[in-house]
Amino acid sequence: SRLAEGTPRRSIHLSNIVEQRVFKDDDIISTPKRGRPKKSVEDEDDDYTPKKSVQKTPTRSRRLSTATKPATTPSKGTTATSAAAPMTPSQKMKKIRAGELSPSMQQRTDRPVKDSSKSQLQLAREQLHVSVVPKSLPCREREFENIYAFLEGKIQDQCGGCMYVSGVPGTGKTATVTGVIRTLQRLSKQNELPAFEFLEINGMRLTEPRQAYVQIYKQLTGKTVSWEHAHSLLEKRFTTPAPRRVTTVLLVDELDILCNRRQDVVYNLLDWPTKSAAKLVVVTIANTMDLPERLLMGKVTSRLGLTRLTFQPYTHKQLQEIVTARLGGSEAFKGEAVQLVARKVAAVSGDARRALDICRRATEIADTASVKCVTLLHVQQALAEMIASAKVQAIKNCSRLEQIFLQAVAAEVTRTGVEETTFMGVYTQVETIAAFMGVTLPAPGRALRLCATLGAERLIISEHSRNDLFQKILLNVSADDIHYALRVGEVN
Amino acid sequence: METLCAALDPMFPCREAAITTLGELIGDAREAYPSAIYLFGHSGTGKTALTRALLKECSKRQGVRTAHLNAIECYTTKIMLENVLDSLTSPQKGDSVKADNMVEFVEQLRRAEAPGFLIAVDNAERLRDMDANVLPVLLRLQQLTSLNLCVILLSQLPFEKFYNKTGLSEVICLHLPQYNKAETQRILGSDFDQVRGHLLEQFATDPGRLEICETAMTEDFYNNYLNLFLSVFYKACRDLPELQLTARKCFAVYLEPVLDGAVEASDISRLWRHIAGPLRAALTQIYMRIEKPLEECAESSASLEDQSVRKLAQSLELPYYAKFLLIAAFLASHNAANQDKRLFVKHHGKQRKRMQTVNARAKTTEKMSTTLGPKSFSIDRLLAIFYAILEEKVGLTCNLLSQISTLVHLKLLSFVSGEQNIMDGSARLQCTVGLEFVLQIGKVVGFNVRQYLCDFM
Repeated sequence: SRLAEGTPRRSIHLSNIVEQRVFKDDDIISTPKRGRPKKSVEDEDDDYTPKKSVQKTPTRSRRLSTATKPATTPSKGTTATSAAAPMTPSQKMKKIRAGELSPSMQQRTDRPVKDSSKSQLQLAREQLHVSVVPKSLPCREREFENIYAFLEGKIQDQCGGCMYVSGVPGTGKTATVTGVIRTLQRLSKQNELPAFEFLEINGMRLTEPRQAYVQIYKQLTGKTVSWEHAHSLLEKRFTTPAPRRVTTVLLVDELDILCNRRQDVVYNLLDWPTKSAAKLVVVTIANTMDLPERLLMGKVTSRLGLTRLTFQPYTHKQLQEIVTARLGGSEAFKGEAVQLVARKVAAVSGDARRALDICRRATEIADTASVKCVTLLHVQQALAEMIASAKVQAIKNCSRLEQIFLQAVAAEVTRTGVEETTFMGVYTQVETIAAFMGVTLPAPGRALRLCATLGAERLIISEHSRNDLFQKILLNVSADDIHYALRVGEVN
Repeated sequence: METLCAALDPMFPCREAAITTLGELIGDAREAYPSAIYLFGHSGTGKTALTRALLKECSKRQGVRTAHLNAIECYTTKIMLENVLDSLTSPQKGDSVKADNMVEFVEQLRRAEAPGFLIAVDNAERLRDMDANVLPVLLRLQQLTSLNLCVILLSQLPFEKFYNKTGLSEVICLHLPQYNKAETQRILGSDFDQVRGHLLEQFATDPGRLEICETAMTEDFYNNYLNLFLSVFYKACRDLPELQLTARKCFAVYLEPVLDGAVEASDISRLWRHIAGPLRAALTQIYMRIEKPLEECAESSASLEDQSVRKLAQSLELPYYAKFLLIAAFLASHNAANQDKRLFVKHHGKQRKRMQTVNARAKTTEKMSTTLGPKSFSIDRLLAIFYAILEEKVGLTCNLLSQISTLVHLKLLSFVSGEQNIMDGSARLQCTVGLEFVLQIGKVVGFNVRQYLCDFM
């Protein structure tokens, strides 16, 4: 039987048993179908245990989990008592890996404040929080229609496919897609649509692209297994036809993180929908519009297909509409204040998060000024805080010698014409400027210290000071900033 | 703090100021320590010894936990952290402590309890080459652990060589200057009693010498000797341990005529005449730490370097062809390749002496290739010169080629580039031995090397 490990047919044959078990778990969790008597399954398990040891599947723990499952699942109370009983860490880990302990967080001791006791500004601030996603996104109706039509068609046709959604950050990609999914789930609950499963992974939440398999499998069964095992089980699930397989919608956020050199994970995620047995609909989200052509291999791009949708950045009118919709009927904001935020943000990035954050900051400023309403002045102050650069302020607040050093770097850049200067040349300039200004010259050791402080503040870019006189120095602020900061300071 | 300074002062003469400053900073464990002290000075100024004694006194008198470690020994961060933890947290505990990273180290230190903690890191310049977080964390370890803790860094460099790209926190710098001549003499003279006791013990069986020794060996006599000694040595060396070693060695020679009764102990000028030779001979041997009687070196003090080269060349037993290969490598390194035809080809045709070349050579006489350092050559050129200078025609066997690689192994030749592709001929070699050495080898095999060097034509 050990020889048979390598031959594919044998392993497929073997894994059919695993497949059945997976479906059984599946059935319990999501869609109740064909109630299979549990005993027969267990019998099968017992029959096949010797062969299973050949496979990499951890049979012991699986059997343990099935044995404990009937005991724990029926009532929450029993799990609570078993959790209260002292458990060794390995037992705990086993239960966590089997998904039998749900991760909970500590509760706060005092109750949260009631809504009725909050002021209008506070309510507005809560409404403006980025995490409060509205039921229907304003200004994204067309994109909603587009994705809805695609997903509904795929679910109705029971076929599977791919879609690629792109757009710069903060343009409502993920919110729209999850909104569509929520609508579809509501419909399927009312039996107006065939049932479907929804899985979701985010490339940024994975330490490694292959961990995607683990996450997907975890959302199917709740168990945590190694990625090889998860991959083979998912392969079984999506390649072998099974009657009454429901459609699965897989949302892949941050697709570009999943792309490694081999691109095997992306390939698998996009290859499974092409199998007739899979009924998998993959919606991929990324920032760059030309990612499939730029980064992905030809076969992966080909499987990704041409169904694409690009989320354009919000215009200032749309941003204004979004903020107004968030505020509802509240009078906390002046109309022109919202307009100013929308125009400033739309000119830079068109990022809705940015607009909402600036509005929130404006409410905080108005709060400290103990005014009921956010006016244009507050918004201007918030914009100055969040958009304006702090470099000029930093240069103004440097010590005298640091300012001289910065001037010297700028002077050396002008003198040589090259961006990159050495410490030696800069020090000569420091000598000149210090003599000109009539201040005492710092010794090179002190000047290295000045250089290190400025480098740590990122006003200049410098090397480690171990190659002291020969270290290379780049100016990280523009020379005009230095002149502006120091000249205006002189007048004062 | 006063008792601490009083205990340390006799051990370290001429360091009163430094001891007072250190005592003010970390003398009392009931007061808050500074977070970091950087102690720097040349080698042989007593940084390590002073810190070690200070730490010992502190732990003895005040119950302070101390750790003294050498950064060279810590080739990974983990070793350093566990060493520090071992000596700082409950030393009586037998089981080994574990700290895989800085976070665990700080966590475990937080649990330690003592009135104070002192960590001294010797050779601290190595800390810059360790993980990037080691030096910044050490400098603010007091703040991170919220203990009364001070980190003392010892190094020969000033602190301005330590600034990294992300900035370091504040550190108190303390300089240990080198001793001046009077201080050096005082420190060297402080072991008078020991030297005298040693001498008396040595001559215990010889009553005549013992008597002379007892009368002649006074403090003035010893100080006069040290004065003479330093007048020769102080210009070349201020490293105290080195001076101490040599002074001991030369004192035996100095004392010899006095013990023999040839010279009066008060006749300094005659004693000077007697000792001047051996002192100069010993000066050429400084930092070499060769245990050899002084008289031998005194005979041939002028040609000591030549002698050592000659001895090395004679003692190096190389096969005949290997010697020729080495000579050929030297010639290939120190002759320009465009001169090869003239030097080694028998019938190279007439060469007209042009005024231009004569002038060019005249200008560059001070830039002799033997002083500029060796140039690189390919193995083909080495073999060609080898066959040209070797009168007999030997076959190019594997033995011959393996001798080249053996010379490389012996570090008489070295690879400059192309170490990976030796066989395709793109590897470049360099000869690493000097002119004297090769001249000696040439003499042994009866080959005049100078004749084939461009510099000597």
